Amino acid sequence: MDLAGPIHDFLLVFLGSGLILGGLGVVLLTNPIYSAFSLGFVLICISLFYILSNSPFVAAAQLLIYVGAVNVLIIFAVMFMNGSDYSNDFHLNLWTIGDGVTSLVCTSIFLSLLTTILDTSWYGIIWTTRSNQIIEQDLISNSQQIGIHLSTDFFLPFELISIILLVALIGAIAVARQ
Amino acid sequence: MMLEHVLILSAYLFSIGIYGLITSRNIVRALMCLELILNAVNINFVTFSDFFDSRQLKGDIFSIFVIAIAAAEAAIGSAIVSSIYRNRKSIRINQSTLLNK
Repeated sequence: MDLAGPIHDFLLVFLGSGLILGGLGVVLLTNPIYSAFSLGFVLICISLFYILSNSPFVAAAQLLIYVGAVNVLIIFAVMFMNGSDYSNDFHLNLWTIGDGVTSLVCTSIFLSLLTTILDTSWYGIIWTTRSNQIIEQDLISNSQQIGIHLSTDFFLPFELISIILLVALIGAIAVARQ
Repeated sequence: MMLEHVLILSAYLFSIGIYGLITSRNIVRALMCLELILNAVNINFVTFSDFFDSRQLKGDIFSIFVIAIAAAEAAIGSAIVSSIYRNRKSIRINQSTLLNK
């Protein structure tokens, strides 16, 4: 969506801070139900983020599938299985040496990704790819484009995804009901 | 929207997802951190498709596939967690040693 500049920047800063705080909340909150709700907040922020980057179909799919299905499933899992473990788990919640090593490794991964992102000249790549594209503008919308791709180029992966979903459904029922 | 800011946000989500996946002692929390990692991948797909391929939008197709795979993964993961909980009465990761016999 092409909004005006200040509104766009304000929304971007708001969603970015929401993502950062929500991601910290998923990892660092002690009660799993709070981190599940924090995960839902992160997923909603990502969905708004997709709307800002001109992809409303993916935003709707994110909102329906992730927030509506996956997050509700995780909340159900937390509510069913949060019984005896959580109360006597406090003495194990200390900062062990493994946590320190892991945070060091993840910070180094993040810093290396950061230097790679900042060193690459993205705008040169943008101009070289833009010049290869056709100049004419067609009036096909986003979801029409996705539907055309799903029924022509990506037809076989689309069918395979449906088979995978069916197998996962049957397998989950067979594992969980015995 | 600056491309670098979005990529930095996605790298942040990815690294914090890996941190939570390694250090969490709860299986359900590990599943949540896995969802965070997949969402970081999805943000990269959608952003690159918007910036570099705004006519064809093939990155959106890949992000939809990743969303479908993540839904299947969450269903299977919850089923396995409930099976482990039924057998062991615990969802600590280091107590699920049923294969260790």
